[in-house]
Amino acid sequence: MIQRILSGAIYALSTAIGIAAFLAPFFAPIVQQSAQPQAGAATAPLLLTALVGLCFLALLFEIQGSELSAKSVALLGILVAINSVLRFAEVAIPGPGGFSPIFMLIILTGYVFGGQFGFLMGTMTLLVSGVITGGVGPWLPYQMFAAGWVGLSAPLLRPLIRVLGGEGRRGELLALALFGALWGFAYGAIMNLWFWPFAAGPAQQYWTPGTGLAETLRRYLAFYVLTSLVWDALGAAGNVVLILAFGAPIVRALRRFRDRLGFVYQPEWSEQ
Amino acid sequence: MIHPLAWVGWLAAVMATLSAGRNPLHLVLVLLCIALVEAASPPTTERRSTPITPLRFALTVTAISAMLNALSVRYGDTVLLRLPDWLPLLGGAVTLEALVFGALSGLTLSGLFVTFIVAQRSLPTSALVGLIPRAFYPLAVVAAIAITFVPTTLRQARQIREAQAIRGHRLQRLRDWLPLLLPLLVGGLERAFQLAEAMAARGFASAGQPQHATALRASMVTGLAALLAGWLLILAWGQVRAGQLLMLIGGALLVGTLWLVGRRAPRTRYRRTPWASGDTAVLIGAAVAIIAFTLPLPGIDRAVLAYYPYPLLHLPRFDPVLGFATLGLAWPTAVLRGGRSRVVE
Repeated sequence: MIQRILSGAIYALSTAIGIAAFLAPFFAPIVQQSAQPQAGAATAPLLLTALVGLCFLALLFEIQGSELSAKSVALLGILVAINSVLRFAEVAIPGPGGFSPIFMLIILTGYVFGGQFGFLMGTMTLLVSGVITGGVGPWLPYQMFAAGWVGLSAPLLRPLIRVLGGEGRRGELLALALFGALWGFAYGAIMNLWFWPFAAGPAQQYWTPGTGLAETLRRYLAFYVLTSLVWDALGAAGNVVLILAFGAPIVRALRRFRDRLGFVYQPEWSEQ
Repeated sequence: MIHPLAWVGWLAAVMATLSAGRNPLHLVLVLLCIALVEAASPPTTERRSTPITPLRFALTVTAISAMLNALSVRYGDTVLLRLPDWLPLLGGAVTLEALVFGALSGLTLSGLFVTFIVAQRSLPTSALVGLIPRAFYPLAVVAAIAITFVPTTLRQARQIREAQAIRGHRLQRLRDWLPLLLPLLVGGLERAFQLAEAMAARGFASAGQPQHATALRASMVTGLAALLAGWLLILAWGQVRAGQLLMLIGGALLVGTLWLVGRRAPRTRYRRTPWASGDTAVLIGAAVAIIAFTLPLPGIDRAVLAYYPYPLLHLPRFDPVLGFATLGLAWPTAVLRGGRSRVVE
């Protein structure tokens, strides 16, 4: 019981701090105005990076401890290798805008094998493919965290899919495709947030401390529409097309292997 | 070859110096050190090649950043030209100050990119996997499996493609990729089960990983709570010192817990990377740069780093002590060149 409470606390605290760190530009100015303006502003970028990094490590530690057996380590390794090959192909022949084939498999594995497996699939895909394709940089921890959330959130679709008729129905595929479209935009919007408060440009599109929630949101929206909307729309469309084209047979194959994954040898003497 | 940990120290130092400010003199000095290390690093192999060369990337990003800033920021006294007011978003004065500030931002970003490219090119993949902390050893195994299986997966994809082509299958529409993708996935999953059995037979976590002890989990929760409380203290009540102290305690608890967990996972290496005197020199050079650029030391005027060209472009100041500390970032050049000349001999 205590283990469960502590595990839940780690999930809740690390996810809450992570989300708050990503969204800091939207509420930090308001809170600072109510106290000492610009308090600690100079250390803000380092502070946020350290916060995101530590929360990510805590979440990863908790998930790997409860999830990984020999079977899941091997399965995860092979699935990450397949997804890294897809990213390798994407780097060699770049798709239009933000199109990336890696999110299809992250969403589908998260949906079939569960959120913890999906989180690890997202983070490890970005790590391994980054190492292979030369994509290691200061942006990588943020990419890993955001891609992890894609896989972690995929099982949230299950209640909706039950309402739409259950597994194997047309509604399941449509819900997964819609989910892919939403994450196409959300991933881009999240990834903008880590550098947006520290970037320079026209005042009506960039963050300035003390401008208030509504004005900060308006500026971010202007920045997002001008710089990322078309890019992310192509990414979202790519997710939808890939899931509609390949989603159903891949989900069937993954389900077949999920059942085999749950099969465990039980020695006779352990029951005596 | 430079030790992976020395590379990590060098990366941290370059990031600290590049993010310290936008003084063009200090920025150029840091970029010069990075360029020297880049020139001395091993030539790019096919496997590690990047889609664009570092120099081309730096020039493109700097030019785009300068242009975008000049076209969108109307601030600055030195007007270069005036665009017609009827042009939406672009109309108005284009100033030299905005152009310079944009170029400086582009140079900083380019420096960060090139730094990581250099380090990644100089480190073998096994060394990169070896940098994963011991507390995350199951994930290091996942990464090692994935990296090992990437060439196998590529080879299998080619074999499936050839087999399908013999049967007359052509890749014309998106749906035509399914007969390629599905056998690749199913074949990979079958291989995963064979691998899992082999791993279990050799004693790798056949009954799952042991659950983390209650004390370790409690320590994690306390660390996270301290981080959150410290952050709230800074943001909501402006208690910077107390907040930072609390966050420091929280961070130390988290790192300490991971270290304790890591100690329980012994690591064996087939081939150990030796630590040489050159690695110590690289690390000392990086440490000197980090200390000079981040700590308030007497005799160093860190205010010179915060260069701002508005409203009228002016000559930046230069701090010789900071300049001298920056030169420590060029140490990998000497080590890399020394290693190469030994190989030639």
